Amino acid sequence: MKVNHWTLARRVVQLTVIGLLLTPCLGWGLFQGNLQSASLLGLKLSDPLAALQVLLLTGTVALPLLGGALLVLGGYGLLGGKTFCGWVCPLGLVTDVFEYLPSTRQLRIWPLRGKMIALLVVLLLSLTLKIPAFETISPIGIVSRALSFGPASDLLLVAAILLVEVLLVRRFWCRSLCPLGGFYSLAGRVSPLRIGYRAEACTHCDRCRRSCFVFEVLDAPLVEGTSHVVSGECTRCGACLDACPTGALNMRFQHPLK
Amino acid sequence: MSEERRRAVITGVRAALTGAAAGYLLLRSGSGYAWLLRPPGAVEEQEFLRKCIRCGRCAQSCLYRAVDMGRLDAGIALGTPVIRARKNPCRLCADLPCVKACPSGALDPQLQDAVKTRIGTAVLVERQECLSLKGLRCEVCYRTCPLLDKAITIENYLNARTGRHAIFEPVVHKEHCTGCGICEQACVLDRPAIVVGPLQPPSESLYEG
Repeated sequence: MKVNHWTLARRVVQLTVIGLLLTPCLGWGLFQGNLQSASLLGLKLSDPLAALQVLLLTGTVALPLLGGALLVLGGYGLLGGKTFCGWVCPLGLVTDVFEYLPSTRQLRIWPLRGKMIALLVVLLLSLTLKIPAFETISPIGIVSRALSFGPASDLLLVAAILLVEVLLVRRFWCRSLCPLGGFYSLAGRVSPLRIGYRAEACTHCDRCRRSCFVFEVLDAPLVEGTSHVVSGECTRCGACLDACPTGALNMRFQHPLK
Repeated sequence: MSEERRRAVITGVRAALTGAAAGYLLLRSGSGYAWLLRPPGAVEEQEFLRKCIRCGRCAQSCLYRAVDMGRLDAGIALGTPVIRARKNPCRLCADLPCVKACPSGALDPQLQDAVKTRIGTAVLVERQECLSLKGLRCEVCYRTCPLLDKAITIENYLNARTGRHAIFEPVVHKEHCTGCGICEQACVLDRPAIVVGPLQPPSESLYEG
């Protein structure tokens, strides 16, 4: 039987994150907070987009928030930007699992760049509403809060997203609407961690594209013949590596601008 | 701009606007709260809403689980920390773990001394219901106050109704009251006669025009 090593590893990491989000109710000191800001074994981590919204609103960022945000931004910058979406985000895990429903693959899709517009809208809304707009309605925050404080009415928003993704538009939240995904795709553009491509091994069977929910990113190597995936939209999830029967794709570090 | 590109941009704009509109309606629908009791050190409410990134660390650091997170019915305060004093008031921990946990400065780290907390102030709102004011010896709010004889004192005077007994009235002193809400929780009435309200009562401008 073929083992999907990358997907397996990814599920382990995703479930570890869920486990960490659950630990505060057990009273352990290991982890505190959620994906907006957390303390892991004393290490302060913060969402850089949250810090950016606070900066826009108040003109300053408290030092603990700033330090944690820079650490996280640097980490994801090194490891692929949208690795957050593929490996860490609990909402990503949920929508990922719902994609196992075969019917979802037949649905229409929205273009990827919707996220950048959503990011812009969120920053503008923050300024007009005088609140960090994304942090307030973030379905990622809602899922985290449901895990650490128990489920509540705000999960309706997450249910609505799932409903649209199962019935109307394939992966519309992660592909086209999540401002945080849009933000991290900017970091992904300059990240050294890439999906590499060896044209001589490729049979153009198209299985990689079928396994990928942002399959547009594979056009650069497959159609234009680049040596790696260029787009920042790639979540480095490794599904294409699992799908490729000839080993034409690999995960590697390389000079980001080459 | 190519036709395909143009269509893609239009879809994107539509998606973003739908999301923004949905979020706005969602938040508008429930912002009916007059005011919210925040954890110790909370900066002024407008500033608090700007600074709080809804990470929940103050709530997780609270040993008494007194800090709850605002849900959908909290409107624009969705995901922010709230204390519901009647259910579970702030215990004014001397080491202020909630303030220490806050990464964003929404809870002001300058607050080092728990008794200097000013998250609200107790008010004897239902004076006609208060047992003490009816001439009975209740004074539960006074006895449970962590700042006994400072934030709440007992003033006694002649019970004019009977003409021969005393009234032992609990009197709140704003300059000492932290707004912890322990008195609100302790009040023996079904509907508490003493509740924590905002430090600054709603301004008179509300009645203009």
